Amino acid sequence: MAKQSFAKSILKKTTVGIVVGVILVVAAQATHFPPVFQIMFFLYAMLGSLVFILLDAPPMNRLEGVKAVGALVVFYLLLSGLYIAGASILPQFDPEDEKGKIEKVLKLRRAQTELGKADELIARAKQLDERAKAITKQLSSLGADAKVEVASTTSAAGGGAASGDLVALGKEQWELQECYNCHKLYGQGGKKRGPEMDNIGNLMTFEQLKEKIIDPKSWKAEGFDKDYEKGKMPDKYKDLMFPQEIDALVAFLVTLKDTSVNTPKPIKMN
Amino acid sequence: MKSADQLGSATIGQGMNRMSGFLKFGSFLALLFFPALAMAAGGAETQAMSVEYRDVPGIGSRNLIWIVAQQHLLLAGFVLGVPIFAWVCEVVGWKTKEPRYDKLAKEFTKLLTSAYATTALFGGILLFLLIGLYPKLMAYLTDMFFPSFLVYCLLFLLETATLYMYWYGWDYMQGNKKTFHLFLGFLLNLFALGIMAVPNSWATFQASPVVLGEGDAWARAWMAMQNPTWMPVNIHRLIANVVLGGFIVGAYAGIRYLLAVSREEREHYDWMGYVGNFIGVFGMLPLPFAGYWLMREVYQYNQQMGITLMGGFLAWLFILQAMLIGVLFLGANYYFWMGITYRIPGSENQYKKPVMAMLIVLLLCLGIWMTPHSLVASLAEAQKMGGTHHPLLGVFGVMSAKMTVSNIMILVTFMSFIMYWRAGKQETAGWAKAAKAIMGGLLVIAGIAVVVLGVWGYFVPAIIRINYFSVAQVLIVLFIMITFTPLTAVLMKSAKTTTEMVWGKMPIRAGYSLVLNAVMVILLMSLMGYARSSSRVHWHIYGVMRDTSEYAYSPALGYAAAFMSLNTFVFCLIVAFIFWVATLGDKAKAQPPRGSTVGIPGHSAPAMAGGAPRAGEKLE
Ligand code: HEC
Ligand code: HEM
Repeated sequence: MAKQSFAKSILKKTTVGIVVGVILVVAAQATHFPPVFQIMFFLYAMLGSLVFILLDAPPMNRLEGVKAVGALVVFYLLLSGLYIAGASILPQFDPEDEKGKIEKVLKLRRAQTELGKADELIARAKQLDERAKAITKQLSSLGADAKVEVASTTSAAGGGAASGDLVALGKEQWELQECYNCHKLYGQGGKKRGPEMDNIGNLMTFEQLKEKIIDPKSWKAEGFDKDYEKGKMPDKYKDLMFPQEIDALVAFLVTLKDTSVNTPKPIKMN
Repeated sequence: MKSADQLGSATIGQGMNRMSGFLKFGSFLALLFFPALAMAAGGAETQAMSVEYRDVPGIGSRNLIWIVAQQHLLLAGFVLGVPIFAWVCEVVGWKTKEPRYDKLAKEFTKLLTSAYATTALFGGILLFLLIGLYPKLMAYLTDMFFPSFLVYCLLFLLETATLYMYWYGWDYMQGNKKTFHLFLGFLLNLFALGIMAVPNSWATFQASPVVLGEGDAWARAWMAMQNPTWMPVNIHRLIANVVLGGFIVGAYAGIRYLLAVSREEREHYDWMGYVGNFIGVFGMLPLPFAGYWLMREVYQYNQQMGITLMGGFLAWLFILQAMLIGVLFLGANYYFWMGITYRIPGSENQYKKPVMAMLIVLLLCLGIWMTPHSLVASLAEAQKMGGTHHPLLGVFGVMSAKMTVSNIMILVTFMSFIMYWRAGKQETAGWAKAAKAIMGGLLVIAGIAVVVLGVWGYFVPAIIRINYFSVAQVLIVLFIMITFTPLTAVLMKSAKTTTEMVWGKMPIRAGYSLVLNAVMVILLMSLMGYARSSSRVHWHIYGVMRDTSEYAYSPALGYAAAFMSLNTFVFCLIVAFIFWVATLGDKAKAQPPRGSTVGIPGHSAPAMAGGAPRAGEKLE
């Protein structure tokens, strides 16, 4: 009796599960979900009906001793089989991609250490150095309030950056060095760790900013007395960044003159 | 697949492909001038520094470390989770004066001595392997963290001494010395917390390093410890360890239940399974919140890392995570429902409809939780979906939806528990009707409020959603739990029991569901360990020290899943061994099973509704 009604219940619940699954798949197809999702939705509906079936399944017979242990092992193998299969049908990223990427990075480094110098790169650096010097000169001749003409500082540092000017490179440095983790700029990034940067160009000169980045302890933003201890500005940039990069970054920072943002006043320390 | 991009961008901060020659040069120089390398080399041109990596033939150094580290971590989770479990049981036993809780606590504390030794053993193996296989990385970490190593050792001494006193003093410190014993248990957990927190800082430093200012070695180590993801990981792990402890106890009881021959044994292990599951479930309820907090910190520290995890090449991992958590929620609820059906005969029909409804709600919630926000599909798929953001994924995949469904899942699970608590009892208090009506009303209002806030969340700025709406949702759920628990306790105090709890009658699939829950938690821990180290991509220390070994890449998910299953299996074997060793002594003493010897009649403990079987009454 019980067996029969259970068989019926299995049939009923499986049918409902399949119907729901098919509806899900059709809906997913209609909305252009990728096939992986369609499969997942279907399996998911089947999982649902499985739980429903198990909910009022009649008790099974107890197994004894070794058989019970064996059943447990089989149960575990089933679970991990499902798990591995599930993880494997999901789209896999290809570790070879990453290996290639790593290789590229390391090759440069090896070339440098093994050959002593990479002429091409050095030449490039010299060129940039000269340009940086020129702009620095221009800036200092214009004074602290110099407004550097920038075509568009807001345009994301796209492919054009390669030939772009120092300011655009500086903006890229801002991203690359992840200053945004602590500083808000254009309303984006950094939460509460450091001051907003939008008006820093009105508060600090080129030289002062450079000093701040090279030695963060040299200046302190007003109102950051308590936070100064905790989330203090990292002291790593002089090691991490090439001088040209710092110049570029600073050239970008001095252009930030949005007075509507309340960037705190810097105070000279020691 | 966009993984090459994703990985690339994570490497140097932003997309490599759009980097100019200048920047390539810059980052390359940055590498050269890197303090890490400078320091490594600067530690006087020692011999050791010429070797950056050593390999192990066959298995490979990374895989070997993976297995050993995972075993150590799982064991550590176990030996930190079990004392919490034991201490809670001891407190409950002390408060309710039910000796079986005290016995249960003691039974599990006994395991700790051998479990500790095993954990330390794996810790030692791990350390030697790390020093041998990753000398460069270890030199850097030692340089930075050395003072914390000393603290770690000190904590170990304190913990071990406390454990010995706690374990060997158990019988001695009964009666009026019990409070001191409880205090020892508290100390034990306090030191354990430290033992967890200190190495957490090394691991979280690798993911979210902060750069150090001046100061002596202690100040620098302390600063490095306080990195942005340290606290969230501490909290998330602490709670996860409670869950692990609870579910492992549950699984142990489940297995013993399956193997039990006598009725007394069945009763005892049925009850133990109940307590384990209960603690596991209660630990699980706050975990999603802790998880989202952790994720938020990761995003704040470094958006790129957050994106790598949630939207980048690891996005599919979170579908797997949602699946595991989903099955865990289903398994835990299922066990409650089984309890209603089999321990409280006669109530199954009364609760059939609500159970169905709850199951449907759970399944709906899980479906939404599984939907990722954005994903890496093949290029063709991505185009078909209009970029990486599918319109529907956009709706279901965002935090607002996930916070909402996880809140509802928590509510449903909590209600399963309340239902179980009330089953088989008839309220007698005059105000019972009114109280039940108020509770029902509150529940409906809370459910609606959570959903409304979730939907509304789409129309407000993210900052308002995160700071107010999500917080409000959590508070609503907490409010329900905090009001319902004492209210139900009071109601039950005066309730007349219509059907006695019957222990030892659960079908064997209940035992399997306990095993299932434990396996899910262990797999989950293994999966998230993989997530943590993959999120750093090919950095030892994110942004600071590159992994230049041949194993720097992240293994693909399917391959990793096989490793996780292997690790889970090995861990289960080790735990089984520990349990087996611990029961050898019992067998010699041939104590009668507790089910028949202890337990005093009285009201069930409100803290663990359903409480202990009233053993005396059931010995017909
Ligand atoms: C770990 C967080 C953190 C990072 C990363 C960070 N800063 Fe700061 N920064 C701070 C804090 C905190 C302050 C305020 C206290 C102080 O002045 O030192 C600050 C202050 C500043 C100031 C002075 C602002 C004022 O109003 O006085 C400047 C300029 C600045 N940072 C530039 C940068 C640049 C450029 C970068 C990226 C190369 C950067 N910061 C990265 C935390 C950080
Ligand atoms: C019920 C819900 C959850 C459960 C049961 C759960 C469980 C776990 C477990 C067992 C671990 C391993 C801890 C350890 O290694 O000791 C873990 C780690 C982790 N979880 Fe969760 N979690 C949940 C929710 C979340 C959510 C919602 C997120 C984020 C979206 C999340 C993100 C993480 C991350 C990133 C880790 C790795 C932490 C680390 O070891 O560095 N979790 N979780």
